[in-house]
Amino acid sequence: MLSVLIKKELFVELRNKEVVFSMLAFGASVLLIFSFSFNGNPKTMHEIAPGLFWTLVLLSSSLGLHRMFGLEKDFDAFSSLIASPIDRSIIFLSKWISGFIFLSLTELLIVVPFFLFLGLSMPMSIMPGLFIVLSGNLGITAVGVLISGLAMRARMSAVLLPVLLFPLLTPLLIACVKSTAGWFNANPFEFYQIWVMIMITYVVIFGLAGFTLFDQITEE
Amino acid sequence: MSNLLPDKISKTLFIVTAILMSVNLYLIFAVTPMVPEQHWAQKIFYVHVPIAWSGFLSYFIVMLAGIMFLIKKDSKWDRIGLAAAELGTMFVVLVLITGPIWATPIWGKPWIWEPRLTTTLILFLIYVGYFMLRKFGGHPERVSRIAAVIGIIAFLDVPLIFYSVKLWTPQFQLHPQVEMNQQPDGILIPFLFSMFTFTLLYFLMIRIRIRILNFKHKLLTEENV
Repeated sequence: MLSVLIKKELFVELRNKEVVFSMLAFGASVLLIFSFSFNGNPKTMHEIAPGLFWTLVLLSSSLGLHRMFGLEKDFDAFSSLIASPIDRSIIFLSKWISGFIFLSLTELLIVVPFFLFLGLSMPMSIMPGLFIVLSGNLGITAVGVLISGLAMRARMSAVLLPVLLFPLLTPLLIACVKSTAGWFNANPFEFYQIWVMIMITYVVIFGLAGFTLFDQITEE
Repeated sequence: MSNLLPDKISKTLFIVTAILMSVNLYLIFAVTPMVPEQHWAQKIFYVHVPIAWSGFLSYFIVMLAGIMFLIKKDSKWDRIGLAAAELGTMFVVLVLITGPIWATPIWGKPWIWEPRLTTTLILFLIYVGYFMLRKFGGHPERVSRIAAVIGIIAFLDVPLIFYSVKLWTPQFQLHPQVEMNQQPDGILIPFLFSMFTFTLLYFLMIRIRIRILNFKHKLLTEENV
């Protein structure tokens, strides 16, 4: 059932490209503002780049996460989805995995202009960076899907999502920025492994919380 | 007043808390010794720490009430959670005010990204969202469930926030790391007394607040009937 739901999410996104396109367009606009606002020397840019990258990801993801339940809300399809004989925790998992795919895809498309516009050089070893980014995405989407699901039917849901999401994501954001900085500076993994551990702990705790509590927030 | 303190326990709690709080203020201002280099600024420690404790206790009660509400589906637990969230936020705001009052003369600036203060600030911001959701969340029953979930995940986040901020700013470990068992009796006993008094005050306040929320709930139910 999980694979069917993920396929549904991917199919819907393939048809209207709403989530990825909105994140990408917004991310590109923010990147443009960053390029003009932080026009520092290469050393300064290198130092602040991890923070800028994750700020960009966080801002874009809040927009995409809001649209994760947008279509279902617009067409009142969510009631049908939760009325179907599917465990709601599986619905959470499908949203989490598809959200993770959409966010990773957006980052893949935005990362080249990010390095190009800010005049940054790509670190030699890609794998640790890839692992950090994917772990960060897992954490953001775990909490994001949960918060997006509970704010979906509220008035001012577009405002509520970032207001609730950003403070909850603070420990993850700190860990993401610190571990990315470690990777950027080509430090050995041992220097920033504690931050990676915090990211993994965060993903496990909030993945489990989402899996357990999603049933409660979707109850009619 | 008799409506808010209807039973013997509430009345006794009110009288005991009023007496103890008067004694507490007397001890803080007249009896406790002046600490060299901190002078009057140190006195805020007898208020700041107990209100911080009361705030975090309150948020812990929000989490417990949230779990109970999700299990029992009894609106009583929702009202307990709401009362605790309101009081917790009030105490946390007081922590965020008294902290910088102490920090300004001691650290030379009102705010430093120190783990305890930062964790308190982040929790406060989460609860701003909590109250916005209470206000704009839509159907009351759904809002109660959602508020319970936020109360749970907010408290789950606390150790992670604290630990990550602590690692993030190792240079800002300036918060007094008070080893209480090493403090002289002149400081330790009034401090413990203040902790106890503020805890009593907290329980009195939450008792009254829950009673007010119960009244409101009863009125709304009667109106709907």
